[in-house]
Amino acid sequence: MTVTTRGKIKSTQYKSHRQAVTENVIRTFFRYLLLLVIGVIMLLPFIMAFLGTVKTDQEIMAYPPKFLPEIWHWENWARVWNTDLGAGGTFPRWLFNTAFLSVVVAVSQAAFGSMAAYAFSRLKFAGRDIVFNFMLATMMIPGAVTLIPAYVLMTKLQLINTFWSLILPGLVSAGSIFTLTSFFRSIPADLEEAAFIDGATHMQIFRTVILPLARPAILTVLILQFQSMWNSFLQPLLYLNSPDKYVLNVALSIFQQQYKSQWNLTLVGAMFNAIPILILFFIFSRYYIEGVTYAGIKG
Amino acid sequence: MKNKLTNSNQQGTVPAIIAFVGVVLVIFIIALMNAPTMGGARVMSSAQTYFSEVRATAVPFMIFAVLAAMIAGFFIAREVKKVWPNVRRRKEFLTGYAFLAPYLIVTLTFTVGVILFALYISFTNYDIFTRPEWIGLANYKEAFAGFTDATKRDFLQALYNVLWYAAIVVPVQTILALRMAMLLNTPVKFKQFFRTIFYAPSVTSSVVITLIFMWLYMKNGYLNFFLQTVLGWIGINFEPVAWLADPRGLIQLIVEAFGGTIPSTQWYFRGPSIAWMAIMFQNIFTTVPTFMIMYLAALQDINPALYEAASIEGANKRQVFTQITRPLLRPITMMIVVLGTIGTLQVFDQVYLATSGGPLKTTLTPVFLIFTEALGVTGPITMGFASALAFILAVIIFALTFVQRRILTQGTEMY
Repeated sequence: MTVTTRGKIKSTQYKSHRQAVTENVIRTFFRYLLLLVIGVIMLLPFIMAFLGTVKTDQEIMAYPPKFLPEIWHWENWARVWNTDLGAGGTFPRWLFNTAFLSVVVAVSQAAFGSMAAYAFSRLKFAGRDIVFNFMLATMMIPGAVTLIPAYVLMTKLQLINTFWSLILPGLVSAGSIFTLTSFFRSIPADLEEAAFIDGATHMQIFRTVILPLARPAILTVLILQFQSMWNSFLQPLLYLNSPDKYVLNVALSIFQQQYKSQWNLTLVGAMFNAIPILILFFIFSRYYIEGVTYAGIKG
Repeated sequence: MKNKLTNSNQQGTVPAIIAFVGVVLVIFIIALMNAPTMGGARVMSSAQTYFSEVRATAVPFMIFAVLAAMIAGFFIAREVKKVWPNVRRRKEFLTGYAFLAPYLIVTLTFTVGVILFALYISFTNYDIFTRPEWIGLANYKEAFAGFTDATKRDFLQALYNVLWYAAIVVPVQTILALRMAMLLNTPVKFKQFFRTIFYAPSVTSSVVITLIFMWLYMKNGYLNFFLQTVLGWIGINFEPVAWLADPRGLIQLIVEAFGGTIPSTQWYFRGPSIAWMAIMFQNIFTTVPTFMIMYLAALQDINPALYEAASIEGANKRQVFTQITRPLLRPITMMIVVLGTIGTLQVFDQVYLATSGGPLKTTLTPVFLIFTEALGVTGPITMGFASALAFILAVIIFALTFVQRRILTQGTEMY
């Protein structure tokens, strides 16, 4: 670049700079607008459904539909809470069933999963890599294949319509082990080597060194497994067939068929299902997102 | 405790034998549970009646299982003998398998065992209550009987439906997820807040989302109202559509717009129905956020120095995207496409709740068909046939994901 043309270049640079500033402002504006629009789209179905729960039977079927109800009929919530489908089928019961199963499965996944992950990441033994690769291979198997034979197995073991039919296959899964293994591998080995020299056993190292360090990963597995049990539908639908054993998802599908046109009531039921898991998510969103990330990136 | 034997060769023999017997016993019990016999309360009432059933129908299965168990047992016993003299290696070996035991037992019972069982009964006409009877490939032939007999086209139509489903949902959700992740990856305030909001639909159960959308999709629901209002502003008169009950196909609609018709005998030219596309939309709504989070994490892993270098070189935004972002995201894109394909080909919840496969079977899916066949919802219980369908579906999923991997990993060697 020669000296003579410098002035010219400066002026065009200046101009483009000013243009760039306005362009930037517009771009930022549209960026936030887009974020807001997407946010509204993502939440709108929930907001609509929530407002639907406090409408009357007439309001909910009226056309054109109104956004807000005339009067907020909170008694709908009490009505659904107290609905009895017979044979012990009530919402408090279903809520308890779902929460119980989700907690049991989540805890056992975290416990057995971290044990297996310790073996995969910290121990050296013949066959370890074969078992690990075998585990990765089983993760590729589509769930549709095991659906029927697992059902037959449950009928043979006479576990149909018991919670065992959902707990036993869910005791531990390849997904949790995989997430935990990749986390354990990222923990430096120095700490436990010191413990090992002091004569600690593997069980002691596992409990006192690895588990406290792996708390975020374990929390992640707990939450993701809780959520996946809470949201599961096909297996409970197959295995549980008496109203006092239903989980919320199965109960909701039955409830909707019984109260076909009373969408306000069905939506209340849907809220009973959605609200606990959404609260859990808003509290632990960091761990949720980490869990999804781990499952994704490292897979 | 330390009974030191003089001969180190002998030292591991007893534990090795114990390990061998243990492995064979465990696998034998698992195989016994999964033996292809009839079930039912009468058979299961005592061990005796069950054993006599196993003897009647499952001897080859058990022989196979025991042979496999003996091979596995042999290798494990050999390892036990090898590691026994060395205290440290012995400890690691025993601790390792003790820690893996819960996983191994669960997966051998509920994955390997049941799959072998399903493979066996897919060659039989099995319905739980009678002895499985070997009928060879008849179930697999029956699945594709629709090619010649139009009344048996359920499975073919289900496959046709899910292939459309995957072909539309997977690209759309992948692109949307990437776009949303890129939007969130720009320097904006309240990033955490927006990320949390965006992710909310992925947290809730598909049953809840499906119920909400069934309500929004009603003929006198919000979607029709919204479209009527918005299109009314620009002077278009919109007739409310029963979204989940409309069997008209996409291609059919296009052809009819030009005055043509597609007869119902040529259903395979009609394309995805309106009901099916409504379910697709809802599915995209729930899966995009999950994949967005994966993309976002991958985007944040990209070394910022690469972008700096690009801007010094004077690359424009498009070039930055095609030359840096896209190639570096390729592994995660592959992951998302493969996961999306596996998920979409097995769609069930939405269909079960919203349409039960209707209207005119345009939302029938293989997993829904497997479910109804196995439970005998529409006819006799046909577990053997349902298992055959499941294996065909699995083969299709494997084949598709294999091809996707091949295509998407091409050209990644340089990165």
